[in-house]
Amino acid sequence: MISDIVVNIFDDLTPLATMIILAIGALSFPAVQMFIKKHTVTWAYATILVVLAFAVNLVLLIDGIECEYLGVCLSPYSTFMALLFLTVLFLVVLVSNSSTETTKNHSGAYYSLLFGATIGMVFVTTSTDLLTIFVGVELTSISSYALVALKRKDGRASEAAVKYAIIGGMSTALTLYGISMVYGVAGSTELAEIAQYVTTMTDTPWILAIGVLCMLAGYGFKIAAVPFHMWAPDVYEGAATPVSIFLATASKKMGLGVFIQVFLVMFIGTTVTGTIFGETFQYIFAIIAAVTMTVGNVVAIAQTNIKRMLAYSSIAQAGYILIMMAVMTPNAEAAGLFHMFTHVFMKGGAFLIVGALICAGVGEKISDYKGLAKRAPVLAFAMMLFLFSLAGIPPLAGFTSKFFLFASAVGVPGEASGAWVWLAFVAILNSAISLYYYARVVKAMYIEKGECTDKIKIPATFMVAIAICVVFVIVLGVYPDLVYGFAETAVGLI
Amino acid sequence: MSMILSSLIIVPLVGAIIALLMGGTREKLSKYVAIAFSAATLVIAVLLLLGIFGDFEDLGESFEWIHNSSFIMNYALEVDGLSILMVFLTALLVLLVNVFSLDEHRENNNYFYALIMAMEVGLMGVYLAADYFLFYIMWEVTLIPMYFMISWYGGPRRHYSAIKFFIYTHVASLVMLIGIFVIGYESVAPGEAVNFLFSAVKAGIGIAPLGVQALVFALLFFGFMVKMPSVPFHTWLPDAHTEAPTEGSVLLAGVMLKMGSYGIIRICIEALPDAAYHWQWVIIAIALVSIIYGAYGCIAQTDLKKMVAFSSISHMGMVMLGIGCLSDAGITFAIFQMFAHGLITAMLFMVCGMTGHKVGTREIPLLGGLAGRMPVYATFMMIAFMASLGLPGLVGFWGEFPVIMAFYEFILENDVIWMLLFCMLSLMLTAGYYLWAMQRTLFGPETKKIDLSKAHDVGHYEFAVLLVLSILVAFFGVWPDGALQFLEPYVDGLIAGMVI
Repeated sequence: MISDIVVNIFDDLTPLATMIILAIGALSFPAVQMFIKKHTVTWAYATILVVLAFAVNLVLLIDGIECEYLGVCLSPYSTFMALLFLTVLFLVVLVSNSSTETTKNHSGAYYSLLFGATIGMVFVTTSTDLLTIFVGVELTSISSYALVALKRKDGRASEAAVKYAIIGGMSTALTLYGISMVYGVAGSTELAEIAQYVTTMTDTPWILAIGVLCMLAGYGFKIAAVPFHMWAPDVYEGAATPVSIFLATASKKMGLGVFIQVFLVMFIGTTVTGTIFGETFQYIFAIIAAVTMTVGNVVAIAQTNIKRMLAYSSIAQAGYILIMMAVMTPNAEAAGLFHMFTHVFMKGGAFLIVGALICAGVGEKISDYKGLAKRAPVLAFAMMLFLFSLAGIPPLAGFTSKFFLFASAVGVPGEASGAWVWLAFVAILNSAISLYYYARVVKAMYIEKGECTDKIKIPATFMVAIAICVVFVIVLGVYPDLVYGFAETAVGLI
Repeated sequence: MSMILSSLIIVPLVGAIIALLMGGTREKLSKYVAIAFSAATLVIAVLLLLGIFGDFEDLGESFEWIHNSSFIMNYALEVDGLSILMVFLTALLVLLVNVFSLDEHRENNNYFYALIMAMEVGLMGVYLAADYFLFYIMWEVTLIPMYFMISWYGGPRRHYSAIKFFIYTHVASLVMLIGIFVIGYESVAPGEAVNFLFSAVKAGIGIAPLGVQALVFALLFFGFMVKMPSVPFHTWLPDAHTEAPTEGSVLLAGVMLKMGSYGIIRICIEALPDAAYHWQWVIIAIALVSIIYGAYGCIAQTDLKKMVAFSSISHMGMVMLGIGCLSDAGITFAIFQMFAHGLITAMLFMVCGMTGHKVGTREIPLLGGLAGRMPVYATFMMIAFMASLGLPGLVGFWGEFPVIMAFYEFILENDVIWMLLFCMLSLMLTAGYYLWAMQRTLFGPETKKIDLSKAHDVGHYEFAVLLVLSILVAFFGVWPDGALQFLEPYVDGLIAGMVI
């Protein structure tokens, strides 16, 4: 097995392998930048490290390595999620050097923060304890606040960063408060032990319910679930576009990963025993999912700024993914993970195009996209693919993953069968609504005539990143088993 | 494994891609690419129809596409008496439409032909698919080219119409998607992987309780009914038709509407016969309302194309009526009516579209006495109108009359003789609006309201296309068995599976 090489090198530290590589980068970037003073060198160094970490992680994923060191548990689930984060990191790093939005003067700090945030994410997925999860989430959040603020010349970015930091701080406090209550009742912060307690308890202590609700709210901020979503559009709009990609695709997935790890592990036992406690939370999740997708989609219709529109669409997508929390069957979890993965490519791709166009001097308004098909035919076509994929039009990746997700809501085996058909119905209606605002951008690009007719040239790295996204949006649509198989194994072993 | 059926999808796909790439200076040549590839498709379809490739049963293709612990989805194609007629009709109309548009030059011609060919890909896929997942994908694939066709090449209100078309049919197909989920999961035991193959689902769904079957039937039926379209979900059709370019209208009415009725027969009736009996009265009621409402709508229209659009609603209602009878004759002739309507409506839309091009307006009150100036045009219009109103000897007669006969049987069985009134009313109205429209546009004194000096008669290519269609309309009118022989074994098998 190829993974033997990795295991030989890292020995006991194999669970930390990916994080170690990333940490080497995070710690050395400022020094590299200080001594060599060439952005391109720092960028190349960062790219090489990401690819290395990606390769190591992929090897561990393919061989399905499971091991544990000092409470850090490597499992197919954690490597699957890490693959997702590293994919995003790769796409973001790839375009960072040629984007005009990222501040060149601080490129050392910029890459450090990106890598630091990713370490936090990977750390979260390997944790089995509420407190270590909390630490990982904090590492990511704090790096993200700084990342948003790095675009210093733009007033919107500073505003967004402050808003993000304040709301983030609030949610952190809530989460910690919730954890303390859960600890008080269950007597442990170990997830397995809490699950044990929840499954065997005879009546429901209300303090546990409040604790879980607080945690739900706290982590709800991270995934921008309604009603905790207000920060997302401002932050995505204000941040430099590569950072927006990072936040919208990776950081949000970390939040959803936490949902799976914490709440699923906590309640999955109760779906077997049929305790009222777990069922109540299933309904809460279902309502949050339905409201999140509806609000996201409806508000997106009114947006004129494309980054804000994509931000609201991101909120809506988080709503779709939350279906898995309501349904709580292995199928639904696997479909949810798979949708997270396809979302990386379609939403990431759309943001990449927005970022590339900003570099080329095109504005952020949807009306600036008029006549784009004439000015940049390849980009316009790619954008159309991403938007249609987000809307769920076959045979693109977004369709397949939504198909799996919604189907899993309909096909619940056992007594509860048919309980979530309404949720699938809401989700599908939402898909129809979403098509309206995606089609509007396509219409602007293809049908309406723009004032400017100059050809657009964009940096080569953007082109490569976009091409990767296009390939995966099509390949995952036609051949989902490529990733879905991993998602299934990941779910089986949570 | 034979690849004949796949080639019906692949050939137009290759054509679409080549046409799409022919931008710039080669733009003018894209139409010949489209003609070549659609002609090749038609040749394959005709050879298939004539049985050169062997029996239909031997031609099925199937391999597992997506296989995991919860789903099995297949790339499965099959052909039988029902699909072969639709495949032939699709291949024929796409080629004719390509030839018909030869005289006209549009901006970005290559996109136009790429869209037509892409539509053919989707249509072939829908008519050949033997797996729900593939069926749904292909169903959606037809939607997007049509949307762009209307919205890029349509009339003045094209954006509104295109969006309306898209939202109506997309929402409907999403409801259908839920139906597909439910039918899939209900066909297997809990926890088993769902096999979306038509035959697998059909074999498994029988055990589901009637209530569930009825629900699934309703969900799927809704999706198909909007596409057909039936009253009250028909309002997208007149708008889409009025604004679409002639070529788009022909494909839309000629073969895309048939996707709806095809789906009802292929999926609703085949897989859920018990639920079909459960909903029989509802189907009949919807059908009758569509027939009468569509016919009344025709009388009120002043735009020729809009009138034909309403007549489509009425005639597709006739298809639904035939299906609703759930009898051998009813379903056979409903399918025949789909085929006949495809031929006739193609002619109708070509003729009406030409009115707009040649004379400058399609408003009936502004027209008059065109027969004197444009005799060839007038002849084709008369043939098309007469065929559509069901003149014996033309193909429309065999679609309409036997369906009413089948319905009469239903009436006798259920002792509701008064329902015959609706049929009579529909026949009267149909004859009425066609004759009236013809009289106002073709005959009488030549109109003074518009300038006719620039009006010219049918062009060469248009003449050829209309001639081919007229010959087919007459041919199948005299020898309907040419199409019916394919349907007999299919419908026999279908009815045999429906016995309660």
